[in-house]
Amino acid sequence: MKHLTHIWFIALKDLKIFAKDRASVFFFIVFPFMFIVLFTFLLQGTGGEDNRVELHMATREASGGLSQQIIGAIVTPDESLLKPGDPVIIWDKDYEASRQAVIDGELEGLLAFPADFTQSVMTGEKTKLEIFSDAGATYARAALNSIAGAISSQISTDKVVIDASISLLVGSGAIPADSESIDRATQQLLNAAMSGAAPGGSDSFLTYKIVNVGDVEAGNASDFVIPGYLVMFVFFAAAVSAQRIVWERQNHTLERLLASSVKRESILGGIYTGTFIRGLIQIIIFWVVGILVFNVDLGLSPPAVIILSVLMVIMSAAFALMLATLARTMRSAASLAVLTSLLLAPLGGCWWPSFLYPEWLQNIAKITPHAWATSGFNKLMLFGADFGDALPSMLALLVFALIFGIIAAWRFRTSAT
Amino acid sequence: MAEEFMVVKDLYKSFKDLKAVNGVSFSIYKGEIFGLLGPNGAGKTTTIRMLSTVLEADKGEIIIGGHSVKKDAEAVRSIIGVCPQDLALYEDLSALDNMVFFGRMAGMEGKEAKAQAMENLKLMGLEGRAKGKVGKFSGGMKRRINLAIALMGSPQLLFLDEPTVGIDPQSRNHIFENIQGLQKKGLTILYTTHYMEEADRLCNRIAIMDGGQIIALDTSYNLKKQIGSPEKVTLEDVFLKLTGRSLRD
Repeated sequence: MKHLTHIWFIALKDLKIFAKDRASVFFFIVFPFMFIVLFTFLLQGTGGEDNRVELHMATREASGGLSQQIIGAIVTPDESLLKPGDPVIIWDKDYEASRQAVIDGELEGLLAFPADFTQSVMTGEKTKLEIFSDAGATYARAALNSIAGAISSQISTDKVVIDASISLLVGSGAIPADSESIDRATQQLLNAAMSGAAPGGSDSFLTYKIVNVGDVEAGNASDFVIPGYLVMFVFFAAAVSAQRIVWERQNHTLERLLASSVKRESILGGIYTGTFIRGLIQIIIFWVVGILVFNVDLGLSPPAVIILSVLMVIMSAAFALMLATLARTMRSAASLAVLTSLLLAPLGGCWWPSFLYPEWLQNIAKITPHAWATSGFNKLMLFGADFGDALPSMLALLVFALIFGIIAAWRFRTSAT
Repeated sequence: MAEEFMVVKDLYKSFKDLKAVNGVSFSIYKGEIFGLLGPNGAGKTTTIRMLSTVLEADKGEIIIGGHSVKKDAEAVRSIIGVCPQDLALYEDLSALDNMVFFGRMAGMEGKEAKAQAMENLKLMGLEGRAKGKVGKFSGGMKRRINLAIALMGSPQLLFLDEPTVGIDPQSRNHIFENIQGLQKKGLTILYTTHYMEEADRLCNRIAIMDGGQIIALDTSYNLKKQIGSPEKVTLEDVFLKLTGRSLRD
C-alpha cells in the first residue's frame, strides 16, 4: 500500500509539474493540432473524386473461343450503372495495341487470354492467363490478379463438374465412349455454362462480388492525419520526458527520494505512471477534438481504436524510461528523443500511409512500433477492418512495450554516478 | 559517556580502479554536530551516500540509531534526513508543494505534512514565500528550502552535505542559527563543508578525510593544538598541513 501511495504521489507530482509548464502543455497538446489542421487542409479532398479503377481485358483467341465468352460475361456494359468504387472492366479487342499501351504507360494493366485457351481447357492441359501491368499501378495489378485468380478457380471447378458429368453420361450409355463424342459433349456443357444456361440456373459462367464496408464517400483526410500525428506526438512527448528523468537523476532528487524510504521500483513506477497518464490525456484530447472538430470516423470498431491508442501510450512511456536509462546527460536524452521520433515517424507511416511504400521499406518499417500502430489505425479507420484485424498491431505494441520496459527496469538508476 | 548514535566500521567503496573510501571508521554521538572535512575527491560525498543508504558499501558496517544500514535500510531511512550538496528540488513547484511532496514520501499524512512544511518554512524564514515557485527563488532561498526538506519527517540524524555553498552571508548565518537550533532540539548532525570557519564554529568534533581515509579526528581545539597554539593557528592551517597544498581535481 505504501509503495502504491509513493507511485501515485510521484505520478501526481510529475503531472503537476507538467500542468504548470505552459510551454510543455502547448508543445504536447496545442502544437500537434497545428500540424493536424495544416495537413488536414492540404490533404482535404484527396480521395473525394471517384478514381474508378479501369481493368482492361483482351484475348488472342479467334472469335467463338471460351475466352470471348468469359470477357463478354464480365465486361461492364454501362458505366453509369456502377456503384462508387466498382471497377470498370473494358474489353480491348486489339491485344497487341493494348499490350503496347501498357508498355507506353497509357494503360495501367491488361489481363490477356492466350490463343490456345479453349483448346487447353478442353484437353485439360495447363494454360496461363497473362497480366501486363505498370510497375507502379499497385491497385490495378492487384485487381487484375484477383480477377485472373477468380477465372482460373471458376474454370477449374467447372471442369471438374463437367468431367464428372461426362463420366456419368458415358457410364449410363447416354454418350458414346469415343473421344469425338466426349469432346462434343464437353464443348456443349462449357458453352452452356458460358452462355448462362448451365445446369443449376446460374446467370453467368463467372460471377464476382465486391463487398463495400460502409458507403464510399469523399475521404476525410483527418481519418489518416489524426492517427498518424497521434502516434508521432504521443511517442515524441514521452520520449522528450526522458530528458526530465535524466535531470532528476543529475540533480539528485531521485536519490533524495531513495533516502526517504521510497523504493527504486516505486520511483520507476511513479515516473512511468506519470508519463502514462500524460499520454492518456493526450489521446483523450486527440480523439475528442478529432471527433468533434475534424469529424473523424473511428470505423467499425471504436474499442479497437481506443485500445490501440492506449497501447501506444503504454509503449511510449516504456520507451521514455528506457531512453532515460540509456542517456547519460539531458542533452543526449533530448537528442535521442528528437532523433528517434523524427526517424521513426515517417518510417512508420505517421506522415504518409506506409502501404504506399515499396515492399522492402514496408518490411523495414515493421521494426518500428509506429508502423504497427499506424497500420492498425489505418486498417480500422480507412479500410473498415474489425477488432480481430487490429490484433497483430496490438500484440506488436505490447511486445515493444515489454522489451522497452524490461530494459528500463534492468538499467534504471537513481544516481548519475 | 555519550551515547553513540552512528557507528561506522571499516567502510570501503571503489569505483572501478578508484578507491573512493578506503577503510573509514568513526562514531557520532547523539546530539553532536560532527564535521567531515576534506579536499575535493577525498571521499566525503561517497561516505555520506553510503551512510544515507543510497549507495551500497563494498565492505564495512554502518549502524544508525541501532539499525544496520545493510540489514535494515528501511528503518534507517525512517530516522535520517538528507540535505544533498546539489539543490535536489523541483523548481517548477512551489516551496510548499516541494516540502509536502517529500513529507508524503517520508510517510507523513497530508495534513501533518502540510503543517510541518509550514513550520519548517517558518524556521527558514520563508513562510511568506510558501506558494512561490522555487525556480524564482534566490540561491540562498533555495539552499534554505533544500535544508527545510531534509527536516520533513522529523529525522533524528541529519546529513548536511555542503549546505551553504554559494550563498550570501545573511543566508549562511541564518542556516548556522538553524543548525544550532536543531542541535539544541536533540538532532544529531553530520556536516561537510569546504569552509573551515563554519566547521570551527559549528562542529563538536571534526574528521579530516583525504584519499578515502580519515587522517585526523578530534575537536577543533585539539586538532589545532597538534600544530601549534590553538589561539593562533586556524583550522585551515591544520587542514592544509594535513592534506598538503597541492591542487586537487
